[in-house]
Amino acid sequence: MTTPLATRGALVPRLAALSKVVELGPGRLDKKILSDAGTLLLRAGDRLKLSSDHTVVALAGGTGSGKSSLFNAVSGLELSPTGVRRPTTARTHACVWGLEGAAPLLDWLQIQWRHRFSRSSALDKGESQLHGLILLDLPDHDSIRALTDPEADRLIGLADLVVWVLDPQKYADAATHRRYVAELAGHDSGTVFALNQVDKLAPEELAELVIDLNDLLRREGVSQPTVVTTSAVTGRGIDSLKSVLADAVTRRRAAVQRLESDLDRLVRRLDPPGEAPASVDAARRVGLTDALCDAVGVPAVGEALENVHAERSAAYVGWPVTRLVSALRPDPLKALRLDDLREEIQGLADGAVTAQPAEVENAVQALADGLSVDMQPSWKAAVQHAARSRSGQLPQALSEELEEVAPRLGFVPGWWRAVQVWQYLLVAAFLLGFIWIVASLTGIPTGISLVEDPASLPWVGIAMASVLGLGALSSVAARNFVVLGASKERERLELEMRRRVGMVAEGMVVEPVERELARHHEFAQAMHTLRR
Amino acid sequence: MNTAADRTGGAAMDNEHPESPGEQTLNIRAVADGADGEVEENGSERDEPGDEAAVGEGASSGAPDAEEADAGDVDEGLGDSSGDAEPSDEPSGDSSEEFSDEPQVLDEAVPSAAEPDADADVVSAADVAHAADAVPAAAEAQLPDEAVQQLTAALGQLRESVSDLRFGLDLPGAEEARKARAELLAQLEDYVLPRVKVSTAPAMIVVAGSTGAGKSTLVNTLAEKNISRTGVRRPTTGTPVLACHPGDLPWFAEGDLLGGLKRLDKPSVEAGPDSIVLTATEKLPQGVALLDTPDIDSVVEEHHEIAHRMMDAADLWIFVTTATRYADAPAWQLLRLARERGVRLAIVLSRVQPRSRDTVLKHFVRMLTEYGLGDVERFVVEESKVSDGRLPDSEMTDLRLWLAELSVDGERRAQAVRQTLNGVLDSFRTRIPELARHMEGHVAFRGELRTDVEAAYMGAVTRIEESARNGSLLRGEVLARWQDFAGSGDLLRTVQLRGRPPKQLPERLMAFKAALRIGLESLIVSAASKASEEVAARWRRRSELGSTLVTGLERPSEDLVRRTNRAVSAWQEHVMELIRTEGVAKRSVSKVVSFDADALSLIFMVGLFGGQTDGVPQRLVKALLGAESLRGISLKSLSDLRARISMLFDEEAMRYVKVLDSAGIPDESAAARLYQATYNLEVAR
Repeated sequence: MTTPLATRGALVPRLAALSKVVELGPGRLDKKILSDAGTLLLRAGDRLKLSSDHTVVALAGGTGSGKSSLFNAVSGLELSPTGVRRPTTARTHACVWGLEGAAPLLDWLQIQWRHRFSRSSALDKGESQLHGLILLDLPDHDSIRALTDPEADRLIGLADLVVWVLDPQKYADAATHRRYVAELAGHDSGTVFALNQVDKLAPEELAELVIDLNDLLRREGVSQPTVVTTSAVTGRGIDSLKSVLADAVTRRRAAVQRLESDLDRLVRRLDPPGEAPASVDAARRVGLTDALCDAVGVPAVGEALENVHAERSAAYVGWPVTRLVSALRPDPLKALRLDDLREEIQGLADGAVTAQPAEVENAVQALADGLSVDMQPSWKAAVQHAARSRSGQLPQALSEELEEVAPRLGFVPGWWRAVQVWQYLLVAAFLLGFIWIVASLTGIPTGISLVEDPASLPWVGIAMASVLGLGALSSVAARNFVVLGASKERERLELEMRRRVGMVAEGMVVEPVERELARHHEFAQAMHTLRR
Repeated sequence: MNTAADRTGGAAMDNEHPESPGEQTLNIRAVADGADGEVEENGSERDEPGDEAAVGEGASSGAPDAEEADAGDVDEGLGDSSGDAEPSDEPSGDSSEEFSDEPQVLDEAVPSAAEPDADADVVSAADVAHAADAVPAAAEAQLPDEAVQQLTAALGQLRESVSDLRFGLDLPGAEEARKARAELLAQLEDYVLPRVKVSTAPAMIVVAGSTGAGKSTLVNTLAEKNISRTGVRRPTTGTPVLACHPGDLPWFAEGDLLGGLKRLDKPSVEAGPDSIVLTATEKLPQGVALLDTPDIDSVVEEHHEIAHRMMDAADLWIFVTTATRYADAPAWQLLRLARERGVRLAIVLSRVQPRSRDTVLKHFVRMLTEYGLGDVERFVVEESKVSDGRLPDSEMTDLRLWLAELSVDGERRAQAVRQTLNGVLDSFRTRIPELARHMEGHVAFRGELRTDVEAAYMGAVTRIEESARNGSLLRGEVLARWQDFAGSGDLLRTVQLRGRPPKQLPERLMAFKAALRIGLESLIVSAASKASEEVAARWRRRSELGSTLVTGLERPSEDLVRRTNRAVSAWQEHVMELIRTEGVAKRSVSKVVSFDADALSLIFMVGLFGGQTDGVPQRLVKALLGAESLRGISLKSLSDLRARISMLFDEEAMRYVKVLDSAGIPDESAAARLYQATYNLEVAR
């Protein structure tokens, strides 16, 4: 991760993005990371609110490394008690160069009043470059006392700049490196290493040790370690340490830099949220509607409509004579003594439309799966949850919505009846002709001269044949009309059903999913800003 | 003869006490409770309780033989002045130094005063034990062959049970358990088993402590030979170095103690973690070997492991810390371990600035006393110029003396060895049950996860049966097709009068069949999908580990749809076959009508899932086939469907079981075997 010039201006949008992440994160991010992020936000907010003219520098290190001696050497006063008993310092001491405005900062750091000291400006004529420095002498972090006292840990977390005070005996301790240095690796600006007690070493030993220390730090990921060799006893190196501190103080960027690097470290722990479309595209909507239509059985309903209409219309528009002939055939149901079943079977086809719950679930699941395939697991789960938030009611809702348009399979259109009347009329005409002929041939007196006229017989015969032909013809025509009408009706029905299914899906599936997708999108954007 | 030395000590102490009343109580508490009354009267008596306590411990646990205990007593009485006087005198030494002008009054003075006596003691001790060489023989007699064999057998069994353990799941604490297991195994192989077999071998004294404390320098100085590299680089020593008398070298070179390590002649860069450097030096007394170890607290974590392995295999520990380090947390962790294990321990506080010696020592002693280690033997080494990797010999006098005593006084050494061995065996009482509990935790966890899987898929089967029973399967397309089938008259056409060939049913029948198949399939797939989600949810709820294990298994397997399709099609075929073969129409019926078996099987399925008991399909099928036959076919087809679904789900559940099994957890009996082995060990002791 590149660290461009650390400025407040660059930090603030990232912090805003972090707060967005924290806001959207619950349930999507690891609880620990989330709470760490919250802590960092609070700390950043506090620190940026407090004096930006001051730089908090903490002297940290193992017990006996000489933090207090170094503290006294830098401040030029015997402020922090030093000693040979280990551990010596149990409470943090602070020395402030330039007290004005520092009090709230010291309060925030929770430094006790009696442990605060200040270098008045009169005293440090030559130290104006240290103006704005708050130097903290921390308790150790590695003694048995520190196991129960998080003071050092807390302040190492809060300081703008940490000076690790190492000594020749303990410079490679796991307690320092594993817990802090390796953890802080990647941001070199916020850390300085002071190799103290060098008076105990011969020059060639010192050279060897410095090389070894540098190697060690590099192995841990500190690419350009700032190592200052000091001795509180002889005063060696104190000035170089001071100038390193002065540099940090005058640049006034340590606080922001520290926050930046903490932010970077936090971001490295965050999993990318994964890729996902920001909304449900048209193709997916159509896919969902198709799948739901299948669950309802829209095509099957249409087919049933056609078939049932064709079958039932026969009773009305069919040529009664053919029907009469087929009715005379023996009925298998009757043979089984199941006559009443016919009625029931007729009743079965009532045109009810329902949705199959399992298929509805699978359809919704498929949509969620398709959308969340590249998402991070927690987000994936969230999208699926959103998709299914109402899928329990979905089959019911679909059934209700489609009830209005369900095909009325038992419905008999008026023209069917008209055709029926026409057919019966034709039959009546045929019968009339039949009687006519019989009467004319048998000579039964009818009183109608025309009937008795044998010359009319051929004409009657012709008329009867035409009636028969007309009946058959109109039956065929009517059947065709029925099929035509049914297929039109089917088309209309299917379109209407699709529209309604789409509407229900939009409201009960797509909308909640899109809300979650928007949330994800927002989150991903915030993450992007955070990462830069 | 001992009284002379004691009197000196006692007199010195008596003189000092009035000056430091605070120190006095401290010392007395450290040495012996309730002895303060006698202190003023008689210095030599003051020593007794402390010594007896120490010896009594060793004897009671190590030597069940009454004879042995007696021998120990005799020995102790004779060897008292030189060896045992020292630890009990030291606290008083601290107190005296606090205010005396010459800082080394007692630490230096007492041993030097005792030195001439020590030589005399050696002779007498040797006399009692029939010459120094005979000491091992005496020690050997303590454990009769039979007992040794029993103990070895019990330990062997224990080792096997421990090595059978596997902690494959990353449960909380599993890392520790794995480490504990490895440590236990290494200790059994490196130390306990060889030590039980040959309890007379030279005592191995491990020099352990923080990085930069001066362990190597100490060993070099004692050996008067630069056998271990020293320097400013931390950590310095990476390979353990063992220094012993040339006479003991073969034993260490070939013995089973630390048998798993590769022996080297000199330190080399490419020496792996499993090697040890052996060197002989005349300057070390026979019977004691010093082992220089890597540190316990540097950044190089492999060092900690090596150091702990060495400590686990040692008979005595010399713990080295420094004036800047004595409050470090890792140091106290080590001391706590020593206390828990009951190891014979000596503490060296080195790099002490002469001017702060008193303050530091006093503070350190107070910390030790608070920790219950106030009566441990202590040596102080001042910060002095290290030349050529060695300290001035003057700093080593008392340590050297201590070693010499151990060397010469075989009984004392054997006691120390036994104390440590017993301490280790005692520690098994807690360490092994702890391991067993962990194992049980593992087994229980796996059991819970398996139960989760079973419960989820049981739930899925129940859901399917429920849906099949309540008619919800007969919705959507299936319903539409059924209406089509019924309304279009196809249903009636299924049954034909006898003599007429059954009409070839149209593609409508095929569509209906497909709809039924798809409905059933989606029911199964949706149930399986719910089950896999439920497993994932349950596992996640269990623990962090559960969610790691279930990663990638949140959805049903990819070929589930294909397999379901196959299963349902096969079932449909099976039902048709049943109707065709078993569905022989009643005789009265078959005289008049015939039916189409394929169509009838679909009607039968509708009846099966229709949710009613006397709907149209049931009545039709019953009329054709008879109630008896219908019942039989219903039962058969349902149980067939259930079997097919169970098979599908078993394969699904298998994925989770596989994940669990790949972690490689042994069965429940592993923990039981461990308990049994611990019990057997206790019996054998």
